[in-house]
Amino acid sequence: MTSALTARGLQTYYGKSHILHGVSLEVPEGKITTILGRNGAGKSTTLRSLVGLTPAREGAITIFGKETTHLPPYAIAEMGVGFVPEGRKIFANLTVEENLKVPVERPGSWTIATIFDLFPRLKERRNNKGRQLSGGEQEMLSIARALLLNPKLMILDEPSQGLAPLIVREVFRIITQMRAEGITVLLVEQNVRMSLEVADQVYVLNDGQVAYAGSAADLRADEALLQSLAGVSAEKWEIE
Amino acid sequence: MSQLILLAVVNGLIVGAFYALMAIGLSLIMSLSDVINFAHGGFLAVGAYLAYSMTPYVGFWGGLLIAPVLTAGLGLLVEKVLISRVYGRDPLYSLLLTFGLAFIFEDVTRYIWGAQGLPYQVPGWLMSPLSLSLFFLTGYRVFMMALIMVVVGALFWLMTRTRLGLRIRAGTLDLETVSILGVNVRVLRNLNFGIGIYLAGLAGVLAAGQLGLQPTIGDSLIMPSFIAIIIGGLGSLTGTLLGGLMIGVASGLATVFVPSASEAVMYVMMAVVLLVRPQGLLGEEGRF
Repeated sequence: MTSALTARGLQTYYGKSHILHGVSLEVPEGKITTILGRNGAGKSTTLRSLVGLTPAREGAITIFGKETTHLPPYAIAEMGVGFVPEGRKIFANLTVEENLKVPVERPGSWTIATIFDLFPRLKERRNNKGRQLSGGEQEMLSIARALLLNPKLMILDEPSQGLAPLIVREVFRIITQMRAEGITVLLVEQNVRMSLEVADQVYVLNDGQVAYAGSAADLRADEALLQSLAGVSAEKWEIE
Repeated sequence: MSQLILLAVVNGLIVGAFYALMAIGLSLIMSLSDVINFAHGGFLAVGAYLAYSMTPYVGFWGGLLIAPVLTAGLGLLVEKVLISRVYGRDPLYSLLLTFGLAFIFEDVTRYIWGAQGLPYQVPGWLMSPLSLSLFFLTGYRVFMMALIMVVVGALFWLMTRTRLGLRIRAGTLDLETVSILGVNVRVLRNLNFGIGIYLAGLAGVLAAGQLGLQPTIGDSLIMPSFIAIIIGGLGSLTGTLLGGLMIGVASGLATVFVPSASEAVMYVMMAVVLLVRPQGLLGEEGRF
């Protein structure tokens, strides 16, 4: 099994605060890998380091066999790495269609036309400004925007955050569909049940370190381990 | 009297169009790069003098076409070599840098072309009045207005119809997200700076035909341009255009009725706008 992405011993800082203490990850090609963990465990920082937004001070990142540790974000994106950032980050001042014209065009099957087939709601709202969209529509737009890069690896940071249960199901359906089309997925989530359902591999982060790494099926089956990893916020893990 | 008011309004619109041309460039650079470009007036002077120097060889039209492009080229270089180094730092750095650049531009133009004013030849047929009753309305003034409107129109088209423009607008809101979508934001900021400086260079060439050449030609335009941005709303192209034209006309009218207030009136307008609508007339949270 080849990995799409490998990270070794990432040490990342925000200014003077030390966030990641040697995080190592392996994201197998064609699978869904999920990173779980409490708020502040370093999940988002890990993703930001991987896509070049907050470069790791130490450690090494390899994507599709190429060292990317110190590459700027656009160069990593150009390699075929899509990123759906936390909080969706759609461009509120642009229309839906204009938002979809911001990403660089990498060759592939995703075009604005095929995106509109997958997300008919976005087609209906193509001339609405980003700020006029509902949370669910914004999430769809954020995913659609990243898909237009025709990524081989898709990285999503809490795509289900703040969405109604029905929309959350839709988001996870799209994520599994990505895998079916051969896109490798790296997913950070708060919604543990749903992400364990769709994921193949799982990492649990705690205080900027990997606390657990293994197959999602194993963790799904081991309720006691799941509870112990969840720690104090066991209740919060019980969404759905 | 009505002749006089008409004269004031026409004058005001022309001066206001210059303010707008400067202000739109300043606003583009401010919105995408968080740099307040105090050297904008210096670039304007460079555009004017370049046109002056090349006119003997390429004529008035050649100068009008080429000088702003060369100025934009200088802008691209200055951004790449100097200004890009202060991105992301305390605004004080870019302030000091562009302030210093403004002095350098002024002294270099003085060194090369001399401190005394120089005449700038505009084709004779453009300079003649369009009619005897409207003696002040020369063909050149109408031409300036028309050209500025065409250029502003082209800029609107660029900003709403091309990927470059959309990326600039997206970047004014969230440059980080633009970068993770595969856009090289270094290049984006460079091109955006070049567009802003092109507008300054064009304003310089046009102003030279009306006012003649002086190393300080840009100085009188820069403060009103900032006021135009504040009145119109930072990041709103339409607002900035409107703001420039409004203060131009207001100070034109003030020249007729209360000459001593012709400068003060734009500051009063700015104060009123800031009190009533601090984000500017057309400004909103999402820029552009």
